[in-house]
Amino acid sequence: MENYSKEFTIQRNDIGNAGTVSSLTKRELKRRGFSREFVKTVTIGVYEAEINVVIHSYGGTALLEITDDYVQITFKDTGPGIENIENAMTAGFSTASSYAIENGFGAGMGLPNIKAVSNEMDLSSSPSGTTLRIRFNICSDCYES
Amino acid sequence: MKVKDILQSSEFHLISNESGLNKEVNGIFSSDLLSHVMGFAGENNILITVLNNINVLGVASLLDFSCVIFPHNVKVNESIINKANELEIPLIGTSLSTSKSVLSLYKLGVED
Repeated sequence: MENYSKEFTIQRNDIGNAGTVSSLTKRELKRRGFSREFVKTVTIGVYEAEINVVIHSYGGTALLEITDDYVQITFKDTGPGIENIENAMTAGFSTASSYAIENGFGAGMGLPNIKAVSNEMDLSSSPSGTTLRIRFNICSDCYES
Repeated sequence: MKVKDILQSSEFHLISNESGLNKEVNGIFSSDLLSHVMGFAGENNILITVLNNINVLGVASLLDFSCVIFPHNVKVNESIINKANELEIPLIGTSLSTSKSVLSLYKLGVED
């Protein structure tokens, strides 16, 4: 199938629309005939990353790329950056606002969940922005039989 | 077992409309933290939560839950009910606590 690339905009604190990127990603993966298990795995990673941009950043973009070999999604925001990446990667550690927590987020499981479900994950951050790239390798078992 | 079978018990009542009642039920998951739900819940699970906001439906839709149960007589906003009807995710209310809801569902035949 042809390579696919699409960029999305994610607004700060737009919790009502959080899940749009993951929902459209899920739809595209289903259209391509991937298995339910693979779709779920990717969807979890994309949703967690999308929520992070919504609740922690000033807003940003998500670039979804699908080739024959992988599904990759790269999130870029415009700050304020992650103060301590090691802490952020620790399950249960959270800096979420009370607004995020009231909406059911901020369990401190986002980045650990992403790492657990993906094949590759790169995270870099400075006060001017954070970039998170996550990749899911496509294998023959990833398709609906 | 299907979602509509849960409604045979007088302890549970339907909040949304009847779309999605024929969905298969397979297991129960309860949490009010959506990352825990994302990380650990499975397809066709019943989600039990007191979290009354639209993101519950986002997660329920992404993970293909069978329905969402609100314990403790949690009041569910009209906007959430409308969205659930659109997504065909049944919303069920109960006066039971979270733990008693789990026990009651188990007695009805839902396992795990």
